[in-house]
Amino acid sequence: MSDYKDEIIDHYKNPRNFGELENADVTINEANSSCGDVVQIQIRTLGNKNSRTQDKEDLVIKEMKWRGVGCAISTAAASMLSEKVVGMDKRDLEKLGETGIIKMLGGEINPGRMKCAMLAYRGLLRIFEEKNQKI
Amino acid sequence: MLDVQKIREEFPILKRKINGHDLVYLDSGATSQKPESVLRAMDDYYRNNNANIHRGVYDMSVESTRMVDEAREKVAKFIGARTEEIIFTRNASESLNLVMYSWGKKNIKEGDAVLVTRLEHHSNFVPWQVLCKENKAEFRVWNVDREGRLVDEIASVRSTETRNDGKVKLIAMTGASNAIGTLVDIKKMVEMVRSKNPDVVVVLDASQMVPHMKVDVSKLPVDFVAFSGHKMLGPTGVGVLWGKKEVLNKMEPFLYGGDMIGEVGLESTTWGELPNKFEAGTPDIAGIIGLGAAVDYLESLGMDNVREHEKELIGYALEKFKELGDLVTVYGVDNVEEKGGALAFNVKGVHAHDVAQVLNNYGIAVRSGQHCAAPLVTSFGVSAMVRATFYIYNTKEEIDYLVEKLKEVPKVFA
Repeated sequence: MSDYKDEIIDHYKNPRNFGELENADVTINEANSSCGDVVQIQIRTLGNKNSRTQDKEDLVIKEMKWRGVGCAISTAAASMLSEKVVGMDKRDLEKLGETGIIKMLGGEINPGRMKCAMLAYRGLLRIFEEKNQKI
Repeated sequence: MLDVQKIREEFPILKRKINGHDLVYLDSGATSQKPESVLRAMDDYYRNNNANIHRGVYDMSVESTRMVDEAREKVAKFIGARTEEIIFTRNASESLNLVMYSWGKKNIKEGDAVLVTRLEHHSNFVPWQVLCKENKAEFRVWNVDREGRLVDEIASVRSTETRNDGKVKLIAMTGASNAIGTLVDIKKMVEMVRSKNPDVVVVLDASQMVPHMKVDVSKLPVDFVAFSGHKMLGPTGVGVLWGKKEVLNKMEPFLYGGDMIGEVGLESTTWGELPNKFEAGTPDIAGIIGLGAAVDYLESLGMDNVREHEKELIGYALEKFKELGDLVTVYGVDNVEEKGGALAFNVKGVHAHDVAQVLNNYGIAVRSGQHCAAPLVTSFGVSAMVRATFYIYNTKEEIDYLVEKLKEVPKVFA
């Protein structure tokens, strides 16, 4: 058995959208309590940023960049996610869920590594869920 | 010396296969495996003696009460304590919290300082940090050098100025680091602080000592000792707090309820004698009996033999790892006299969690991450480490196998 499918290794070795996003609308840091890794996520969005609605329903992700040091699983997950979430809004993100992340990573993740797999996704969700997280 | 092959026969779990390989269990620092005698003691209790303690006059209740009393006597004798000074808790964390709530909250005041070492497990770090915030006391961290030894000067993290100034009311220290294995010269360190703070109270986390070496609390310059049963062949759910009788007697209870009272009136209640005062509610009776059996097992091996065996293993591992050259970085002291059975390392260019997962494919169980000791792990400039911990059932062949498979790790990510 191999937990490290070719696609995971590929994204780990050649992470997509890695780096700093100029003109980012929002930057967030998400930490993995199991190992102390921190990933920084930055996004640009389309939609009415001055909207009075607190829940940011009308915003769509236009671009995502990220950086940080992590394990193969968290790196590959952030990399894949940065491609997958373009065009998604809050509802699409929520629909993705844990199942969507596992599927994205090839359908099988050791339960002990779920924190690694979910790290970047949790950061993204927090951007849309936290009321005081300005966009 | 230990007859390791005979010992291995007595641990049923070691027959398990993991991903088609023999299990190589190198995570006893997190929890040890359990011998047949411990499993049997608990099973027998539930099958033949199960009844609540201190409650009934019928035979089974008398039996279960006697079994718990005997286990307490065994634990006391094992660490050189008086029986009534042994308090059963859920685990070492609860033991340490008991001291924080019952002793710390009342005695640590504004202007006082609490000294905690950077080697601590979070369980002997966070409670004191919280207490200091609440009681407006100064939280000082005793630093480590690059090899993970406590430095000789007592300084706070924020300054290098010596701070042995007579304000220290409590020291929270480990005797053996769970993350990197450093053994602390407890007497030397405590004497250093006591020279300026004669009344300082010392709380020792002995979770990585009691399972691995002879500990005699009557010879240690400390007031409280905490450890867990599950790291010393016993079941999960039982921990121990030892405290000096004179100190325990002056403390208020931690939890209130059944079994810990003297007299209950409508207006007020008095507290029971030691150790009942600190053991509210029905304890983990089967677990305590299991811990008693674990003590019997360790006594039968002899704690000096246990330490010798682990010293041989860690010494062998330190040498073997040198063969790996710059493929691995090993953290902590490179001297078996100052090191318990924990070996912390990283593989070049591979995250600790990935190393652990690849090793799992070969049946090797190691821990990865921060080992509940973030302040220590990050002091080495890394966010995570891999940790292999050794115990009575581990062999040099297992270390050879670990080293051989570590060479495979980078290939997965090449």
